[in-house]
Amino acid sequence: MIKVQEEDFQVDLLYKNLLQANKTGAVAMFVGLVRQFSDLPKEACSFELEHYPGMTENNLQAIVDEANTRWSLLDVAVVHRVGRLSVDDQIVFVGVSAAHRAEAFAACDFIMDYLKSRAAFWKKETQGDEEQWVSANAKDEQSLGRWAK
Amino acid sequence: MVIGVKIAVKVNIVFFASLKEKIGQNSHLAELDLPITIGQLKQQLSNELDKGDAIFEMGIQSSVDFEFARDEDLIPIDVKEVAFFPPVTGG
Repeated sequence: MIKVQEEDFQVDLLYKNLLQANKTGAVAMFVGLVRQFSDLPKEACSFELEHYPGMTENNLQAIVDEANTRWSLLDVAVVHRVGRLSVDDQIVFVGVSAAHRAEAFAACDFIMDYLKSRAAFWKKETQGDEEQWVSANAKDEQSLGRWAK
Repeated sequence: MVIGVKIAVKVNIVFFASLKEKIGQNSHLAELDLPITIGQLKQQLSNELDKGDAIFEMGIQSSVDFEFARDEDLIPIDVKEVAFFPPVTGG
């Protein structure tokens, strides 16, 4: 399940939807949140997340498809929010269910790594009266090297 | 393929994030004489758009019909949309 949405998400519901009776032995989940990124009061800090409708979903599907070719997975859920987000808001959920934990952990890590560098999202930070587009982090791109076949 | 034949197509070009703000518009309808590459399209856009030079900034990426593309890629004849954008920063 892949969703790009403005609304918040409920981790407990997403978790339950990943379970398959008698088959699921492990669920690995990741939640990304907006942390306070300046010394200003948290009310003065926010993000605007832009995406490219159509391409973003394609990118996420391609990442999930690749994860399914590398590991034996039961189900995968990716939810990414867009629009205005405040400090402490949830941004992204990645959940993976599998028979065993090794596959679930690895696939969850892989999907987040690729989502950071290969899915069409752009963050703009607001700090008080100032707005600034977030630059890509070279470490995110380098991290993909961990998954070279 | 017949060598030397040019095919004229109209293609929607879209821009995102900081590049959209620098260029000052969300989209641009471009007339392309195919075959051309993404790199050649960048040159064309820099000539056609007032602030089109922003497309040459370091790290600007592209896509053709929702798939990531590279400067050397040829734009296919059935293209619907080409996008240009800065490196992604999701998650």
